[in-house]
Parts: sequence; C-alpha cells; structure tokens
Amino acid sequence: MNNWKISLKNFLHKPLYAFLSIFSLSISIGLLLGIQQLDTSIQNQFENGLGKVEMVVGAKGSPLQLVLSSVLHIDNPTGNIAFSEVEKMAKNPLVKSAVPISYGDNYKGYRIVGSTLDFDKLYDAEILEGRAVETSMETVIGNDVAQQLGMNVGDTFLSSHGLTENSIEEHNQSFTVVGIYKPAYKVIDRLIVTTLESIWDVHNHEDENHEEHKPLEDEEHEDEEHEHKDDSDHAHKEEEHVQDHNHDEEHEHDEEHDLVHVDDRKVTSILVSFRNPMGLMTMPRTINANSNMQAALPKYELERLFRFTGVGVKAISWIAYIILLISCITIFIGFYKMVRERAFDLALMRTYGASNFQLFRIVAIEGILVLLISLFFGFVFSKIGLHFIVNIFKSQFQQDIILTFSAHQTVQTIFIVMFIAMVSILLAILPLFKMNISNIISNEK
Amino acid sequence: MVQTDNLTFQYTKKEHAFNFPNITLGEQENLLILGKSGVGKTTFLHLLAGLLHPNNGSVIIDEVPINGMSHSKLDKFRGQNIGLVFQKNHAVKSLNVLDNLKARLFFSKKSIDYAAIDTLLEQLDLKETKKSKVNELSEGQLQRLGIAMAVVHKPKVILADEPTSNLDDENCSTVLQLLQQQAEENKANLVVITHDTRIKSGFKNIITL
Repeated sequence: MNNWKISLKNFLHKPLYAFLSIFSLSISIGLLLGIQQLDTSIQNQFENGLGKVEMVVGAKGSPLQLVLSSVLHIDNPTGNIAFSEVEKMAKNPLVKSAVPISYGDNYKGYRIVGSTLDFDKLYDAEILEGRAVETSMETVIGNDVAQQLGMNVGDTFLSSHGLTENSIEEHNQSFTVVGIYKPAYKVIDRLIVTTLESIWDVHNHEDENHEEHKPLEDEEHEDEEHEHKDDSDHAHKEEEHVQDHNHDEEHEHDEEHDLVHVDDRKVTSILVSFRNPMGLMTMPRTINANSNMQAALPKYELERLFRFTGVGVKAISWIAYIILLISCITIFIGFYKMVRERAFDLALMRTYGASNFQLFRIVAIEGILVLLISLFFGFVFSKIGLHFIVNIFKSQFQQDIILTFSAHQTVQTIFIVMFIAMVSILLAILPLFKMNISNIISNEK
Repeated sequence: MVQTDNLTFQYTKKEHAFNFPNITLGEQENLLILGKSGVGKTTFLHLLAGLLHPNNGSVIIDEVPINGMSHSKLDKFRGQNIGLVFQKNHAVKSLNVLDNLKARLFFSKKSIDYAAIDTLLEQLDLKETKKSKVNELSEGQLQRLGIAMAVVHKPKVILADEPTSNLDDENCSTVLQLLQQQAEENKANLVVITHDTRIKSGFKNIITL
C-alpha cells in the first residue's frame, strides 16, 4: 500500500467522473497539439516546396497568384511572357539560374510543366527510374504522380487542356513517360515535367488544326473586300502612288514578321535564383518598374499568405484554449467537490496518522493521473485527427502533407496545459489544509 | 496510560467553556463516559485523541503530553498509538476491507502482517468480507470493521464514540465484547463515550458528564 495505490483506487472509485474529466481535457489537448502540428507542417511544406526559387517573373497581375501558380502549382497563371525574356534574364550577372516554365495542360489533375533540364535542379530532384527528357513529348513524372496514377516508365498518355481534370478537351498527341523522380518532398513530386517544345508543339498543332477551319472565314472576308473595292475604286487610284512609296517599308515589315514568328514562343513564367542577395534587393524593383512583367518573391508572398491563414489557425487555437480552460474549470469543480464529498474519508485518513501533506499528495496524484492519461489520449487524438486530415488533403487536393513534428512547440504546449491543469487542481485541494477533522467527524451523525 | 489534567475547551469565545473532569487510567483500565447530547462528550474524546487543542490543561498518553506536539508529530503519534471507533463512517469508501486495513497500517507507518490481519478478521467475523467494498457491508459488519480499523495497528488507547448507538441489542453486546477483547489483547486502554445505557454493566469505571 502506498500513496499511488490509494490515489488509483480513489480514482477508479468514480469511473464516470474520471472518464468525463479525461475526455474533456484530452479533447482540448488533442485539438491544441493537432492544430499546431498541422500549422507548422503546412508552413514548412510550403516553404520547403519552394525549392531554390527566389524570385518568379511572369505576366502582370497578382504577385500572390503568380507564386501560387508558378511555384506551388495550386492556382491559375497570370498570363504569358515572351521566351526572349528568359535569355535576357539569364545574362544578368546577379542571376544564377533563370528557368522558364510553361504550362496549361494536365493529365488527370496533375500539371504538365514544360521547362528546361535545369528545372529539377531547383528542387534537387533525382531520377529514380528511367532517364531524363531528351526530345519533345517525353516526360519525367513526379513520385506522387507515379504512385497515385500507377504509372511506369514507357506508359503513354494524352493531356487535357486546362489545369483541372477533364476528358472533353483532350489533346491528340500522346506523351511518353521516360523517367520517374525520387520523392523530393517538394512540389515537383506532383508534376509531370516535359520540355518547353512539347508544350509549344501540342499547342501549335492545335493552332494548325484551327487554321484548317479558317479558310471559310477568309473567303468571306475576301468577298467583303471585293465589295469594298467596287465601292471605292477612285480612292484606290488616289492611293496608288502612296503605295509605291510604302513598298520598301512593307518589305521590312515582312522581315520583322518573320522575326516575330521566331519570338512568338511564350512561356508562363521564369523561376529565378540569384548569385548573391543583391539580386533579391534590386531586381524585383527594376522588373516591376521598367517592364510589362512582374517579379514576385515567393518567401515574401507566402509570409503574406500565412498572415491571412494565420488568423484561422489562431482562431482555432483560441477555441482549443477556451476548451482547455473549460475542462480545467470542470476539473477544478470536480476536485473541489470530491474533496468536500470525501471530507470524511480524508479526515479518517488523518486519524489513521496521515499528515496534511500526505493527503494533499494523494489527491494531487489523482489529479496528475487525470492529467497524464489526458495528455496521452490528447496526443493519440491529435495523431488520429491529423491522419484523417492528411488523407482528406491527399484525396481531395492531391496534396501530400508531410507532418513535421516540432518537439519544441509540443513541449511548450504540454507545459502550458500542465500548468493550467495543475493550478486548477491545486486551487481545488487547497481547502484540505484548512480541514477541521474534529468538526468533520463530529458532524457525521 | 491515559491522564488528563484540568481540561477546558471553548469552541468560540462567545460560547461557554467546557470543563472536563480529570481522569487517570492505569494499565489496561477501561472507562465509560456517559452523558446526554450536548454536554461535550465528543469534544472530550477529540481532546483525548488530539483532534482538538484544549484551551487549558493537558492530555498525557503513555507518559507523553500530546498538547505540546507539532501538527505533524501529533498526526504521527495519533496514527501509531490511538485507535478511534466512530458511530458511522468506519472506513474509506473507495477501498475494500483488506485495502482499508492495509492503508491504515501504511498511514501509521507500521508493517503489514497478513497473518495478524487474517486473525483479526476472523475474530471480528469479517473473513468473508475481506474483498468487499465498504458500501456492501451491513451495519453490524461496518461497526466490526470500525473496530478492526481501530486496533489493527496495535494502539495504546482505543477511543470509541457512540460505538453501539446504531445497533440492535444483539449487535450491541457483540461489539462491546469485541472492543473489550481487543483492548485486552493489545494491552490498551479502552475509553467509550456514549448515551447508550445498555452497555453500562460492562464497565467498572463510569463517569457521567
């Protein structure tokens, strides 16, 4: 027989009360731990997912949208920019690498990203199986894509237009999987990587198809023009000599038209990493001020985003703290009542030779038992909850959340919980010290 | 050995003070204190047990004046040398009979002798209830458990507060016999306070408050 055994027997004497205390306390602990771990995991994952991309340059629009679309691949792009900008960017001495990406198609919801061979270096992605992309219409797929869709090297597939899954707007050129990446735990895991040419080819081909329908329209135009000519014959005569003057110019125009044709190639954005921090300081400002493109800094934009989502996380944390407070008040009332109801038992123990401090320990141990069991179940609840949330994210948003465990934060939360719970238990059992044994015992009748 | 000297006690300054007669009990001497309700019987018993602190006078048990002791020393002394029997509420409700006896010994810091516990339970006819919870016992069994709790640690003094008032005649005499038998076995003084005149015949020393 010892203090712990007596406490344990007391504890088990009223199982419903014990269950309720543990239940409410462990729910609040579970909520606190779960929400914190989810928050840190998501933030970590977003920041980790950035890879080495320090700046992203794309068409003007919302900088957050540019980051979400081109870096995290969870939003629609802002527009296109000319491919020629890539070379200009790469020539800047501050720039270490400027990787162009182009996208707009998907296969079963996974984005097909056209880029150069430098793309996977941004994410330190290595090839697990197969080889790198060599020619147009070859792809290397991210590990998640391979696993979720059960794809292997050698498989072929047709892409669909747009960034969400649909089978209506299917393209008619098929891609071939030539490699699979190792898991990088970054955004590349969810991408299908191909060459820029593949994207251009798919869309140029489509354009040609569109042109096949065009002649009809053109004929109509010509008819209109004919009518026009009849109406304005005299005007033409007047313009004849002017046309002679312009002849040379028109020729130049044609040449320019050829050049434009070369430059017609577009990319969605350029992912930039810098040689030194000076680039980070000066380049975004220069681009935003002096070009028709915009530069966004992923780290900065994400911080801005977290400031918004942080409000939600904070709200849930506050709710969890309120539940914690309520469960601590429940525990306080429970223990306070217990000390009163059991006053006679406790007074009896005093007549058996137990000191005040010993009784205090016995009741406090009961509180600690409730607390420890609640902490255990709270931890279990948070794990189960997170497991479900991760599965929901995986099945609904194709986002695999890697849970990062922050020991520092968990310990901090556990200390806060223990502190609040201990204070309420202490307050509840303090009246024990003022207990008048004689009075309690003589009031038994 | 129990001795009191000019004991007075006052609950609050406005109430009148109780003055208690001096008693001196030699080895294995028993005492019955009779009195109606409100004359301070329980107060006297609690003074003897050190549960109350007298305004004046002293209580000496086994040649130790208990009034001068610190709280913790008094708790320890009481636990080891005094056994208390109450009218109701004889044991801790969350523990079973055996665990109660074990807890009793644990609190008075005495070693657990299972053979002695078994003998005691047999003497008090509680052997079958060894694993029973306190609230499963009958009134008579409870009172006998109260006696067991008061003597299991082999005290020098057994103090009983109305031990028979709730019992029928048969149980009343059994309980009295058992109390006297246990006091004798432990070479302890037995002090019983009661308004129950049925047990008067069992005592040589009787004082009336």
